[in-house]
Amino acid sequence: MSAVMQQTTAPEKPEYWRWQENTWVDETMNWRDAKIVTCGIDVGSVSSQAVLVCDGKLYGYNSMRTGSNSPDSARNALQGVMDKCGMKLEDIHYVVGTGYGRVNVPFSHKAITEIACHARGANYMGGNKVRTILDMGGQDCKAIHCDEKGKVTNFLMNDKCAAGTGRGMEVISDLMQIPIAELGARSFDVDEEPPAVSSVCVVFAKSEALGLLKAGWTKNKVVASYCQAMAERVVSLMERIGVEKEFFITGGIAKNPGVVKRIEKIIGIEALKTEYDSQIAGALGAALFGYTLVQKGQAKQG
Amino acid sequence: MSDGLFDPFKTWYEKRHDYARAWKQKTGGQVVATMCTYSPEELLIAAGMLPVRVLGAHEPQNVTEPHIFGMFCPFCRDSLAQGLLGRFDYAEGVTLTQSCIQYRQAFTSWRMHVPTVKWDYYVPMPNEVQSRFAKLAHYGEIKKFRSFLEGVIGKPIGDDQINEAIAVVNENRRLLKQLFDLRKEANPKVTGLEALYASITAQFVDKREHNELLKKVIAALPNRQLNRNEGVRLMTIGSENDDCGFMAMIESVGCTIVIDDQCSGTRYFWNETKPDADPLKAIADRYCDRPACPTKDYPAHTRFDHVLGLAKDYNARAAIFLQQKFCDPHEGDYPDLKKHLEDNGIPTLFLEFDITNPLGPFRIRVEAFLETLSEEELF
Repeated sequence: MSAVMQQTTAPEKPEYWRWQENTWVDETMNWRDAKIVTCGIDVGSVSSQAVLVCDGKLYGYNSMRTGSNSPDSARNALQGVMDKCGMKLEDIHYVVGTGYGRVNVPFSHKAITEIACHARGANYMGGNKVRTILDMGGQDCKAIHCDEKGKVTNFLMNDKCAAGTGRGMEVISDLMQIPIAELGARSFDVDEEPPAVSSVCVVFAKSEALGLLKAGWTKNKVVASYCQAMAERVVSLMERIGVEKEFFITGGIAKNPGVVKRIEKIIGIEALKTEYDSQIAGALGAALFGYTLVQKGQAKQG
Repeated sequence: MSDGLFDPFKTWYEKRHDYARAWKQKTGGQVVATMCTYSPEELLIAAGMLPVRVLGAHEPQNVTEPHIFGMFCPFCRDSLAQGLLGRFDYAEGVTLTQSCIQYRQAFTSWRMHVPTVKWDYYVPMPNEVQSRFAKLAHYGEIKKFRSFLEGVIGKPIGDDQINEAIAVVNENRRLLKQLFDLRKEANPKVTGLEALYASITAQFVDKREHNELLKKVIAALPNRQLNRNEGVRLMTIGSENDDCGFMAMIESVGCTIVIDDQCSGTRYFWNETKPDADPLKAIADRYCDRPACPTKDYPAHTRFDHVLGLAKDYNARAAIFLQQKFCDPHEGDYPDLKKHLEDNGIPTLFLEFDITNPLGPFRIRVEAFLETLSEEELF
């Protein structure tokens, strides 16, 4: 009898956490008509964005998952949007890098922190009345105050722990086997609002969530409980610098109404709405800074 | 590229235990682990000993949990860990002069659980140094400490020896101040990291040797070319800080640390012992009069104006609070001190320190803070 080794392949596992990558350009504009084309590249811990700005106006962007190294992530993000509109790198006058990988954007002229860039981007997306910004990123969370120009006046970041950030939501999405884009809506499909889970720790979330499921909670109820805990955590961060009425949320979690509405409920303020993708705020701010720098440089040259 | 002028300080810092062992072998004297900069080093030096301040190692450890709480400040935990891990096995004695209650418990655990300790002594210095009775009380304690040390070495410690020790320590303070004063200049020829290496090594190197190196370095500074941009002039404020990696990171992102209010820096050496017919009284007065740690700064907050004065004298554009997590005395001062500085035109940034620090996120915060100070070109 001969032993026959059967080759087995693991069944493909659905990636519930995978959020929608997307590329967009404003078809009503032609970048070739622009005097100044600038680009902002935000290489974050989870996602990377490239934003193109033509004469100070948002023209296009590409948002995708960050790869294994920052330079490639920056290149791929930019290539995606350039391919869509037939642009080449040499057509761009100025590139500003931001995010964790800001110093590793190989073709950037300047690096500016994501704190400054998110404030500037929020000022564009939400208007110059925006004063408080909550940036809920992939692995950190920032509360920012800015003035009418989008200049940062104060800020706070979460310490070390990545609890209550985008990555935590991805983990919950996978655990519950619910596509990440549906988490928000599902969190409201509960008989009554549950209390927050005791820990938003990404590591402990699994055992706590599984414990709740065993105790008879529905998946929706667990998600609701996690969204509430995440909202409470970021509100405590914001309260340390104070929340002004003109409040704006950037970052991936801004797309999750399960967290956003709960934040709004706790602080009693509704976040300003925007037509733009909340994930591009940092790269947009970077591109707008690039535009200002080019303008000022040209002015100096006379 | 560094010219290596401060490298001997850096080497002392990085090999501080080797230095102490070599000193002991060379001199045959005793080494004393001193906890807190309120320890009257003059007496230890007069007794022929080498005072070596206990510093942390900034590395994860798992030995202090049975002894002190996890919510004691990182410096307490890191310091005690060094004792428990045997890093100070060459030190015969350990001494603490009262400052904060958490550090006192770290000291108590040290003397109970570090097996190489041959003797220990606690100096119960008054915390309310502003009281009219404080100096007299501390004078009494200094006298008791001298008697104790005489018992340890088995012979009397004369006033002449104490005066000689005061002279050596005062010279060290004077030279360090001279070095620090050079940082008042635009484009200072000493970086904050280098100044830290100089002041922190004074806390464990033989003062005579340290003085010689300080003189050599100060003499070489006028011709020094650092070839770096000064950037934003910053002040650091807090308790102990010898996280050199953090200091190097800060100074790599467009700024220079020009002054500090920390016990690893100016608070350690800022004032001298004033001559007095009774050297013990002179020592007691000196420690009561030194720039105060928050544990010894009430009912009046003398350090608020002292810190602001330093910021102004050294033309600091802004200040960074390096707050040891769970350090109640400094955290208690923070809100009012922050307001005092900001009301007087010195913006501040708050960073919470642990045994190990996340340089990446700290870098973002420091850079963002610097951008708020100088990003006009972006708008």
